[in-house]
Amino acid sequence: METRLALRMYQEYTTFFQKAERERRWNPFDDIPWDKVNKDASEELALCAETFCGVEMYLPDYVAGGINVVRKSFGQAWFQANWAYEESKHALALTEYLLRSGKRSDEQMVDFQNKIFDKKWELPFHTPREMTLYGVIQEMATFVIYLKQRDRAHTEQCEALHKIYDLIARDEIAHCRFYQTVVKVLMEEDREGTLADLAHVFAKFEMPGVKLVPDYDGRVEVMRSAGIDRSVFLQKVYFPILKYLGITRHELLLAGRKPRPLHVIEGAPALHGHGNGAPEARRAL
Amino acid sequence: MKSQDLIALFKQVAKEVDKRDFQELTGDSVISDLGIDSLSMMQIVGEMELKLDIMIPDEDLVELVTVKDLLAVVERRMERS
Repeated sequence: METRLALRMYQEYTTFFQKAERERRWNPFDDIPWDKVNKDASEELALCAETFCGVEMYLPDYVAGGINVVRKSFGQAWFQANWAYEESKHALALTEYLLRSGKRSDEQMVDFQNKIFDKKWELPFHTPREMTLYGVIQEMATFVIYLKQRDRAHTEQCEALHKIYDLIARDEIAHCRFYQTVVKVLMEEDREGTLADLAHVFAKFEMPGVKLVPDYDGRVEVMRSAGIDRSVFLQKVYFPILKYLGITRHELLLAGRKPRPLHVIEGAPALHGHGNGAPEARRAL
Repeated sequence: MKSQDLIALFKQVAKEVDKRDFQELTGDSVISDLGIDSLSMMQIVGEMELKLDIMIPDEDLVELVTVKDLLAVVERRMERS
């Protein structure tokens, strides 16, 4: 990595990390009002929590794949390490909720974990830039989903779960902002290439892990009401991302029309190129 | 441009974007029922805008349910341009 770019990434990471240390650290055991779990809340609320917990539990795959893609960039690699720490609390807090609410037993949770770990999440893209762009979209969509769940927990008068989703959502948007900042740096370096990658990542985007979660088909109907529809996705995810990055829809469209380099089509991983070996992916929204 | 022509254009662009035929599509078809997700929809809208030399404001695109809804927005923009 070029010195100038490496220094920018380092600077962006230290800015992110200092803010996280000062303003965003939380403890799943001390900062959740566990005495305010509503044990009478609906099974649907618990099923959503279990499903999101399952998605969060693919953390070993997310970390293993994600950190190696950016291992040659101090700023980005250290961000991934910090990201992993923060994300690890998400599955932990949701697991504690499911147990303390009595919605799931210890045995059920272990069985669920075993089913989760039987499947492996594969990296959808293979270059640092594509994975950063993927991170922007995925974190923003996850943030919106968790806000919706937070409101639902509030409606069902479960203060503990409301607090969990509040803290998780705050982490997700912070991660999204870091990725967006990195994308702005990458656009300064190579706007055309970054836009081409963004068009590609949008075209192939799907939410991580969801279809790997056990009994996914059975969860779909409940998850539909828990997820975000087309209108919300456009209003809260797609348009805000383009606006933040200063990109128009037409710019993105034209960037997506350009042929991708040969090594990309062949799927060879390229650490600092535009490469992608992602299989055709079904989208979630 | 007539409504039928716009539907034909939508079918053509949707086929280019989604690599599928949409022969049964009508104005009343619900976009999500056609298996067109929000990101494909943005590509379709963008291609139509470029072909028709119009620009639809983002806020007009968020509440579209049927093909007819989109075509009505397109027609309004064409009248203004």
